[in-house]
Amino acid sequence: MNRRVFLKNSSLASGALFVPGFLKACDAVPTLAMGAKKLVVIQLSGGNDGLNTLVQHTNDSYLKNRPVIARKKQQLLSVSDELGFHESLKAFKHLYDEGYVSVMNSVGYPNPSRSHFRSTDIWHTASGSDEYFQTGWVGRYLEKASKSPLGAIEVDDTLSLLMKGANVNGIATKDARLFYRTTQDPFFSNVLSANADVHLSEHNLGYLYKTAVDAKSSAGYIYEKTKVYESKASYPKNAFGKQLKTISEFMNSGLETQIYYASLGGFDTHANQVNAQKRLLEVYSDGIAAFMADLKNTGALKDTLVLTFSEFGRRLKQNTANGTDHGAANMVFLMGDNLKHKGLYNQAPNLLDLDANGDIKYQIDFRDIYASLLKEWLDTAPSDILKGRFQTLGLV
Amino acid sequence: MEKAHIHHLYRRASFGIGPERLSGLQELERPLVVAELFKSSRTVEKLTIPTPDIDNHLATMPMDRKSKKFKELVKKSRKKHVVYNRSWINKMTNTQQELRERMTLFWANHFVMRSRNILFSQSFNNTLRTHALGNFKDFVVAIAQEPGMLDYLNNQQNKKGAPNENFARELMELFTLGLGNYSETDIKEAARAFTGWRHDPLGNFKIAKKHHDDGQKSFLGNTGNFSGEEIIQLILNQPACARFIATKVYRHFVNDIVNEEHIEAIAKVFSKDYDISTMMRFIFNSDWFYTSENIGSKIKSPIDLLVGLMRVVPFSWEKPQQLKYIERLLGQVLLEPPNVAGWPEGRSWIDANTMMVRLKLPSVLLKNGEIAFDVKGEFEDSFEAFSKKNNFSRKLAITTKWEVFEAEYGNLSDEELRFYMLGSSIETGTKKFLETLELENKQDFCIQLMSLPEYQLC
Repeated sequence: MNRRVFLKNSSLASGALFVPGFLKACDAVPTLAMGAKKLVVIQLSGGNDGLNTLVQHTNDSYLKNRPVIARKKQQLLSVSDELGFHESLKAFKHLYDEGYVSVMNSVGYPNPSRSHFRSTDIWHTASGSDEYFQTGWVGRYLEKASKSPLGAIEVDDTLSLLMKGANVNGIATKDARLFYRTTQDPFFSNVLSANADVHLSEHNLGYLYKTAVDAKSSAGYIYEKTKVYESKASYPKNAFGKQLKTISEFMNSGLETQIYYASLGGFDTHANQVNAQKRLLEVYSDGIAAFMADLKNTGALKDTLVLTFSEFGRRLKQNTANGTDHGAANMVFLMGDNLKHKGLYNQAPNLLDLDANGDIKYQIDFRDIYASLLKEWLDTAPSDILKGRFQTLGLV
Repeated sequence: MEKAHIHHLYRRASFGIGPERLSGLQELERPLVVAELFKSSRTVEKLTIPTPDIDNHLATMPMDRKSKKFKELVKKSRKKHVVYNRSWINKMTNTQQELRERMTLFWANHFVMRSRNILFSQSFNNTLRTHALGNFKDFVVAIAQEPGMLDYLNNQQNKKGAPNENFARELMELFTLGLGNYSETDIKEAARAFTGWRHDPLGNFKIAKKHHDDGQKSFLGNTGNFSGEEIIQLILNQPACARFIATKVYRHFVNDIVNEEHIEAIAKVFSKDYDISTMMRFIFNSDWFYTSENIGSKIKSPIDLLVGLMRVVPFSWEKPQQLKYIERLLGQVLLEPPNVAGWPEGRSWIDANTMMVRLKLPSVLLKNGEIAFDVKGEFEDSFEAFSKKNNFSRKLAITTKWEVFEAEYGNLSDEELRFYMLGSSIETGTKKFLETLELENKQDFCIQLMSLPEYQLC
């Protein structure tokens, strides 16, 4: 190989043209035996203010604690005499009215952490607030059930703890073509295929080669499987809409992947919350409505469940900057057309019975929701995945 | 000392070694080579960056934490963390105190702390550096009194009558003894001893007398009016403590898979007076440290990888934020540990994505490559900042000094260059493939070597 050829081949990251994938032995299509049910997990990252999402507009405590940022009855999308959804959730409310949404209130865990990082870890790993797990619950599901990195995809460029198992990790990609091209670089192809016939050792070097080979074959598989299909539905032109469109395309092109994860950030509204949350909820609502409509059209909806959570809710009492500080228990949305509890799963939080910090107490342990999804949707024993015993709630 | 052994020692005790220095050490016997590492790390050079705005604000403390001014301060502090991150990376790359910096990085993933106050982060970082090779008890006490740690594990809220157990629990579980070597009662009693340990707004440690519980405590089989420091001494009296630290050190510096005999030997040396230098000197002088199963068997941490690259082909990060993004893609952002347990290290550094980023990294960094990064926003981002992130420039602003590489490595044979980059570990297929390449250019060959799975090992 001369210098020019090398330079061409080693332009690993540039947009140079690549030799199309000549599939080597080590790129063999993975054998996948996964269930047909899909789960889409969405995190409203930063801590969405649940109290201004589903609003108790007649509640004195609500009005008294939020003199500036309280949403008024006439602004809201009415759910009942006492409750209304935030005005930005029009499209979402439509889904709610048609029975595609289950709202679970006051979801949390004992001794809640008010740190984004820690509480996100807790939700991702399904730990208690005094436990530190190094694997995510989806990662553990991959290990037990899917037995392949292809079992779960995070639509992002880096992999969250949620997706990491002890020996199997999910895959992060928001652009199958780009991910594929990265792995198809001729230099890597040559290095990897040069060792295709060698029995790779159990040592770390073998592990590295195996991971690289897996990455290459997974990227190739995702790309080959998904490159033709393009969703005809129209999605909002923002990053979140694009993520959801990607998930829809992955699902509808027949990719076996069971679990998808995406996050929408910006919900950490310590100051001037009203405008920020208004825009964010609109992004969420319009995106998710487009996604559900798309899946309904293609027929994929019957096998799809969408879980939306935040790492915590926000404090009832607004702060002096017309925002809200980190709180505790919060709402979770479950969406699909197989829901056992359409509409409100339980009552809106009691605003007179708060914890010592003035935050909402949890009524439902989030791990009970995970246990239910595992057992009732993914057909897997919760005790295999969750560390500890949690009850199932009969959600789907 | 054997060339391969010096190379191994420096990959573990430092961040790698080049031919010039290695050849100077070859004539020496092992104990002298090891002694040299300790000698050059004798001094402590703290790492501080100027923070005039924040210093000025602090002078007028206390301040309303909900005020606009305070929020601005937090924002400035966050930016300063990004700068400090780069300064730390540069320090590891250019330091004369190689072993001390290596140990500092190790301890940063043992005594794990995260603060949004740059002054606290800086103070903590320098405490790690100061005690990195010193006495372990002094180290633990200093850590327990760091303002960042007092905040991070809620000791600020730990007071007589209403103890907060967080610090006491992690002190034993993660910092000294490990699970199973103490009871829940021990945690409760220890927490009482740390009541009132707090810091003032400027970060100065003090014991608030009226919040301190000076009553009798029963701890690990002892009874007395123990202070926090006495609790730490009682912990260190447990054989489990030396064994716990020895195991952690072994996993990091020797092998992911522990050898009980070696652990026992290290713990025996360490438990005598808990001198960290003595323990490390013992490890680096042991024959088993240089056996083949311990050479080239560890997976480099992302920081080890980055610093190693920078030591071979020096380059500077014009935009510190870009360094942080690269760290994020690799899975280790300095000063932002995932939780109090730190990064799990070893194979957990590696997944399909981080593996591909690692393989691409050398050409991206050294050949003006681009890299796709629409990285997740920060939690604290405003909506505006969050949506702006998606337009983040993909072009890395990096200045590479290839002439330094040429001066040090330019005259090596291909085989020698391979040795310096990879040591002796290489898959046979890869070796054959490399031999088929006709190479005209050392720089390209170097990038190729750095783009191999083998380069991820040390």
